[in-house]
Parts: sequence; C-alpha cells; structure tokens
Amino acid sequence: MPRPSSAFVRLLLRAYPRHLRVRERDALEAACIACLARERARLGRLGVPYAWRRLIADTITAAILLRVDERRRRRLAWHHSQHSAPKEILMTRIWQDVKYAARLLQRAPVFSLVVIATLAVTIGATTAVFTVVNGVLLRALPYRDPTRLVLLQEAIGEMGPWGFSAPDYLAFEARAGLFESIAAFRNREYELSGVEPPERVIVTRASATLFETLGVRPALGRPFTREDDESARPVAVLSDALWTRKFARDPAAVGRAILLDRQPFTIVGVMPNGFIFPQRGLLINNVPADVYVPIAFTPSDRRGFGSMYANGVVARLKPGGTVTQANVDTRALVQANAREIYPAALSGLAAAVSGSATPLTDEVIGRSRTLLWVVFAAVGCVLLIACADIASLILARAMAREREIAVRSALGAGRGRLIRQLLAESALLASIGSVLGLLLAVWLSRALVALAPSTLPRLHEIGLDARVLLFTAALTVVTALLCGMLPALELTRPRGSALKDGSRTSTGRRERRIFGTLVAAQLAIAVVLLVGGGLLLRSFSKLMAVDTGFRVERLLTLGISLPAQGYRDAASVRGFYSRLLDDLSQVPGVSAAGASTGLPLGVRDLRVFTIEQESPATRELPHSADPEYVAGRYVEALGIPLKRGRYLGAEDAAASEPVAVINETMARRFWGTSDPIGQRIAWGLESQHGPWMRIVGVVGDVKQGALNTETISQTYVPWMQVSDGMIADNVVGIMRSLRVALRGEVEPTALTDTVRARIRAIDFALPVTSVQTMSEIVKRSTAVPRFNALLVSLFAVLALLLAAIGIAGMLAMSVSRRMPELGIRMALGAQRQTLFAMVIRQGMITAAAGLATGLLSAWLVSRVLSSLLFGISPRDPMTFATVAGLLGVVALVACALPAWSVTRVDPLKALRAE
Amino acid sequence: MPTTKPPAPLEPHWFQILLALADRDLHGLAIMHDVLERTGGRMRLWPGMLYRALGRLADIGLVTEIEPPDDAPIAGGRPRFFRITTAGRRACAAEAERLAGFVAVARRKKLLRA
Repeated sequence: MPRPSSAFVRLLLRAYPRHLRVRERDALEAACIACLARERARLGRLGVPYAWRRLIADTITAAILLRVDERRRRRLAWHHSQHSAPKEILMTRIWQDVKYAARLLQRAPVFSLVVIATLAVTIGATTAVFTVVNGVLLRALPYRDPTRLVLLQEAIGEMGPWGFSAPDYLAFEARAGLFESIAAFRNREYELSGVEPPERVIVTRASATLFETLGVRPALGRPFTREDDESARPVAVLSDALWTRKFARDPAAVGRAILLDRQPFTIVGVMPNGFIFPQRGLLINNVPADVYVPIAFTPSDRRGFGSMYANGVVARLKPGGTVTQANVDTRALVQANAREIYPAALSGLAAAVSGSATPLTDEVIGRSRTLLWVVFAAVGCVLLIACADIASLILARAMAREREIAVRSALGAGRGRLIRQLLAESALLASIGSVLGLLLAVWLSRALVALAPSTLPRLHEIGLDARVLLFTAALTVVTALLCGMLPALELTRPRGSALKDGSRTSTGRRERRIFGTLVAAQLAIAVVLLVGGGLLLRSFSKLMAVDTGFRVERLLTLGISLPAQGYRDAASVRGFYSRLLDDLSQVPGVSAAGASTGLPLGVRDLRVFTIEQESPATRELPHSADPEYVAGRYVEALGIPLKRGRYLGAEDAAASEPVAVINETMARRFWGTSDPIGQRIAWGLESQHGPWMRIVGVVGDVKQGALNTETISQTYVPWMQVSDGMIADNVVGIMRSLRVALRGEVEPTALTDTVRARIRAIDFALPVTSVQTMSEIVKRSTAVPRFNALLVSLFAVLALLLAAIGIAGMLAMSVSRRMPELGIRMALGAQRQTLFAMVIRQGMITAAAGLATGLLSAWLVSRVLSSLLFGISPRDPMTFATVAGLLGVVALVACALPAWSVTRVDPLKALRAE
Repeated sequence: MPTTKPPAPLEPHWFQILLALADRDLHGLAIMHDVLERTGGRMRLWPGMLYRALGRLADIGLVTEIEPPDDAPIAGGRPRFFRITTAGRRACAAEAERLAGFVAVARRKKLLRA
C-alpha cells in the first residue's frame, strides 16, 4: 500500500492551534497517517479520497473548535480572577504575603521589637481608656429603656438645681399625668445589725413606684407596695451585693429580719445582680444603696414648705413623650403647684421656684463626659504620634528595598499587589502589637479604675466586653493603615531610575519632605497635648490655691449616727454628744472638739429664713441659707476666722436665747455694709416661722461645696438649741448623725485609736464611720481635676518623648544618607561647625513648622477644655509660651545628637563609601 | 481544575475514550486503536475529534494529562499520556449503567436474547 504524503499531512497540521502543534506534532502526524491507513484498509483504493476528505474536514473542524475552546477557557479564567476570585486563591496570596512579611521582620529583630513594643504600649493605653469610656459613657444604664428616664429637679431662682421638697413632690406626683410613672428617693446612712458583723450601710428611702419606674423587679421576693409606703411598714429590699455579703446568696434571706439603726425591718425582696441605684454622678443622693426601704413621708415632711429640697425624683416618659416637652411641662407644673400650695407668706419663694427634667443618663454621666473624652483624645494623639514614628521607620527601612520593588513591578506585579505585600508587614506588626496591647489594657484599665476619683460614676461597670474587643480590632486595622500606607504608596510610586545599573537609593528632596512632614505632624500633636496638659495642671494648681476658709491641716473628722433603739428621745441624744465632746476635748493632743450636721466641701442643704425688720432692698432676694447645726467648739476646731461678734459657745444652751452666727456672704448680701450683729432671723416664713435667733457673730466664708463652686449664705446654729422633736426624729435623722471634728496638736491619725476607744467607752456597739483627716477630704474633693491633669500631662510627656525621638531619628537618618555628601564638603574645606549648624538648622526648621502648627491648633481646640478649667482661660498666654519654650529646648536637644555625629565624620571614609 | 459540570448523558465518543482509559493510561494514538478494536471498527476516531474530546474531558475534570511513563511505547515523538480521574470513572460508570438499562429493556422486550 502506497504511503500517503507526510508533507501534505504536515501542511494540514498547520491548521491546528500553535500550542497543540508544538507539543503534539509528531503524535498528530502519526494519528493522521494511521487514520488514512485505516480507511484505505477498510475501503480499499476508494477509501483514499474518502479518507482525505474526512481528514481535511476533521482537521478544519477541530482547528476551529479547539480555538473556540481555548478562548472560552481564557474568558472563564479572566472572569474568575476579576469577579469571583476563588477564596482559596485570595487567602493563599494573603498567607504568602504574611509569611514573607514575617521572614522580613525576623531578619530585623531590633526594629520589630521596638515597633511591637511601641504599638503594644500605645494600643494598650488607648484600649484601656476606651474600656473606661465604654463602661461609663457608652453602656446603657442598667434599667429598662433608660433613654425614657428623666431626673426631675427644682431650683430656687439662680440657686440649684436641688431635689424636691416633700410637699412639692407629693403635689407634683398627684398631678403628673405627663409621666408614665414617677418616684422619689433619698439616701441616708444607717447602722445595719442583726447579721454579723454590724456595719454602716447606705439606705435609699424610696417611693413604692421606684422599681416600677426603673423597670427592674426584684430577682427574689417582691418590691414594697404603696400600702407599705403609706403605712410606713418596716420592710426592706436588699441589693445583690449586700445579700451576697451578709447572707451568702441564701434565698431563705427573704422573710428574715435585719436591724436598721436597731429597728427591725423584714426583708421582702432582693434586687438582681448588676442593678445599681442611685448612680454616682448625680448631684445629690448619689451613693448606690445597699438597702431600699419605703420613703414614708411623715406629717412633718408634708408640711415642710420651702425646706429640705433633698428628695431625688426620677420619672419615666410616656410613650411618644420627649424630654423637651417633659422639661417644659415640669417647669410649668412646679410653678403652678408652688403658687397653689405654698402659704401666702411664701409667695416670694413660690415665684422663684422652678422645675426641670433632664435625661437621667445625662445627669449620671454628663459631668464626666468632657473629662473622659479629653483623656481619650489625649491617648489617641499619643497613638497617632507613635504611628507617625513607626511610619517613618518603616519607610526608611523599606527604601532599602526600592530596587526589589522595581524588579517586581517590571515583572508584572500590579501596584495594588505590591501595596498589599507592603501593608502585610505593618498589619503583622499591628496585630502582634494589639494582642499584647489588649493584655496590657486589662491591667491598665484596672489601674485606671483604681486611680479614678470615687465620684466617677459606673466604675464597677468597667470591663472588657464585645464592644471593647471590636474597638481593638478596628484600632488594629487603622494603626496598620496609618503605619503602612504612606510607606507603601511612596515605595510603589512609579519612578524610572530604580533599575538603572549603578543607581543608588538616596534620600531625595521628596523623601526629606515626607520625613519632615511626619516629624512636624508629630510635634504639632505633641504641642496640642502639652498645651492641654499645661492648662489642666495650672488649673489644678489654682484650685489647690483656693482658700477653703478654714485650716485644713491637723483636723480629724469622723461620723456618728445614733440609732433610735437606745437613744429614743432628745435627752439621750443630747446627753451622748455632750459627754462625747467633753471627753474628746480632754484627749491629749486635741486643742478643740466640735460636731456639726455637715462638713465643708460636702453637699449642701437649703432652708428658708425670714429677717426681722428687713430692709425693702433685700425683700426680693431668695431667702435661703445653708443651715449648719453645730455643737461644742466646731467653728474654732475648723479654724474659721471670726470677723465680727463672737463664736457660739457653752452659754448658748437649750434654755438660752436662740442665737446664730452667719457667714460673710450672708452678711454682705442682706445687710451690706451695716452691722448684722444683734439683728434677728428665724427659720420659716414671715407669717409662720420658728423662734427668732439673734445674730451674735459673723465668720469667714468656707467652701460648702466643691472648691470651684460659689459660696452661698450660711448660718451656724447651736445644735443644743434645736427642738427636742427634731433631735429625736429618726425618720430623716439629721440631728442624730453628726460629723465630729477634732483640731489636733499632733498628726490626726495618731488620735484615731484614742478617739475610737473614748466612743466605745460610752457606747460599745456604736460603729464609727468615715474616719478621715480634712486633708483627705480636700484631696478627694479635688480628685477629678487631679485625675484629669495627671493623665493628660502623662500623655503629653509621652507624646513629647515620642516626637523628640521622631525628630532625632529623622535627622540621624538624614545625616547617615548624606554622609558621602558631607565627606565631600569637608574635603572641599567646609568647617565641622558649619555642618553642625546646617544639621541643627534643618532640624529646627522642621520643629518650628511643627510648633507653629501645633500652637495654632491648640489655640483653636483649647476651648473644649473650658468646663474643666478653673481660674484660667483656655487660651492662657503663659501656658502657650511655656510650651513653646519647652518644645524648642527639647527639639534642640533632639537635634544635637545627630548634629554632633556629623562633627565626627572622617572625610576619607565618607569619600571611600562614595 | 474542572470549570464546568459534565453533560449527561455522555457523548458516545467520550464514553469510548473513558472506557479505553478505564484500566490503563494511554496516549492519543493508542486510544484511537483501542476504541477501534473494542467497537469492532464501528467507532472510528479522527485526530481532530479525538484531541478536542481529550481537551474538553480535561476541562471538566474527567481525564488528566500525565507525564509519559519511561517505558511507554511511543509512535512518533513523545506524545501526551492521559489518565482517567475519579470523576471520569464515575461519569463512565453512570453512562454504562444507563446503557445497561436500555439493554435490559431490550431484553425484556425480547429484542435481545438473555
């Protein structure tokens, strides 16, 4: 059989796609020849043309269809890569990038450790502060729908806001259809006994509607009812913490009896874990309760017009109600009630009384908002500076890989792919840093809580939760981008010279500008922080310089509250305190002993008074003063200076003429330049008042509230001259609970044991509470501004340090890269001093730019701090000038080290490197 | 990696190619001969049709290309060898069962002797 023409078959094969021809030419040729032979064998000579026809048709068909198949393959592959890149491929690439980044970081352990440590500290600090911010400001209050809760308050003219007086609340409650529910509450300290060991606890006396208003029911038992309240039934609901502490969470505690001030109360319920009320942060009644009992207003309370504005009132808005409308309605209703129910002689006061409704959340956390957000912003600034530092480091390090990046780009790697690769490095550093930072944050947040002022609300709710973890994750991403994006964008920027033979990487003008901008930005942020820290520090020092009006040093204070059981009548109460003050006066080392219903720097009360033969000029003024009932030599013990007349003394007994001592503010306000000595005032209204009290002395003003608050009118009245009824009263019990003050010739803590022993000698079972020196009380009252100033200043110093490192690092790198140039300059005759000055000048120009930007920014944003400052303007020129000077000095020192290294350059070595 | 699912039922020449590869790896020419012999000359594969089928079978993952074994008999150059995949076995078995079903029906209808 003749063989077909192989040449013709080879010609035919050229129709196949090239890739198949290249790989399969011989096999295809053999197959074609085999087919031709097969057909010839089958069909004989007639099969040859048939076979050729079939072969040509098969070849042409296959050639077309194979190309169609190939095109379809390519199209599918393109679609996969563009729109639905398999997850495995993307994850594989990312994993490759991470592994490569890890290898690079392993080769530079010092760099990696420095960056990770910096990120761990800054991310940890930021997360710790956010943990506090989250617990205090962001978490909802632990009540049902807390956004519907409002706090109602009364004010008298410009004074206030205060709580409600009992008659005002009862009138309001009767007519308050604008709220879904409303409740009154008031705190008081009691002795808890009947379960060992006895202790002082905070009891909230509350309306039966309190738990319904807050939307939280007891976890065990029941709340007290309206009948319990109206009949003053001795029932109690415990907090979860007290139930745990005293009853080991035994459900059988419900139904048992406890003694409050030695009176039996039956436990009817236990509140759930996590329920806290009242919240710290409120102006009054702001200590979380251990026990809740019915408020049970007495007939005396109900007649107390114009006094005891001390009941907190919380209300729940009706569905659809708004706070704005509630505020308007409350103001109108309080004023209408006052006009209607206040006695005629109190019409002046009634006209001055007003009401308000503010969201309960704002009342609890509102005063802490600025403080916490300022601290958060400060730590955020530190993180920004750290990111700028790290970005400079990464950029400097990555510039050594310029050629590598250029080669990858030339081989087809897209810019996005390269950026992703470079970002993997910063992402890996940020991830490791944030894990370590999170661990650090757990410890740091606990430290912050321990350092935080006890008046900061919701401290117990601070802890890691899902929101904090999410914040940390987001912070990690942001940090990775801040640290890595600039270097990634800069390094992958197209440039033509990177691949030229013999080309060197060099710090061109552009790179110098980038580094300079980063350093200037760091310095600007540091300036803003330093100004903020400086203002807060100066404000704090001005606050500490405020004259308290009394002598703080060597003053010991303690609290005593006499239970009704054992001190049933006024005689026994008077007898106890008389004996106690006599005994304490004789303690060696005590120069004066006294007692009072309140101490300076505490929360104030207001009482209405009237003036005998008052001048018409003062009749329209609100006649309210803070009443202080004092025993023994209280005023002398505090060291309050006498301005006119005399102090109260032993001669001002129950049977003597009622007298009073007033403060300078009250004397000035109501008598101007006239002498008030001998004038008479009385508690109550002009038409219905208590006994006249003759003014026998005028003493200096003391700070009744916080150091930064205005001083109000104050009277000191002999406690011994208070009526028996008020002394014996145990419902409110003000006159039974006195704060004892002892002026010592020795350190007050040395007197503590002796004092306790003297008290135990009179009544062994009587607990003594709140033993503290006046210095401690003053320190606690300034805890918030101290906390603020300390934290912001700490962050400011950290920021300055980081910025100084940044500027030093920038100059050091610049000098290092310019070494050959500097060597040439020296070889050509430049003096070392000239080069030194050149480097200093470069650094200080950058510092000046940062300083100017920072001062301008601080000028614009410092007004945010206004509410936190005392006695100083947010644009205080002295602070700004001090910061500018400090930064100038620090920048100069930071520039000096790299500049000094220039003077040590050996021109020959530098030239050899070139 | 397969990019599309195999059509059902299989093209007759695809089925025959998979049958040829069921018990051994073969190159293109060997597959042509095997199919020709097994079908008694009834199915005659042409080169273009064969290589296109092999390409489509590889696209959908029923066969895979392998390195030729060292002792492989070659006819003209060093051809590509092919191996049936697990998916290819399943597809081939499914097609065989389908055809066996037709045979069973034909037997029941006494078109074929049992």
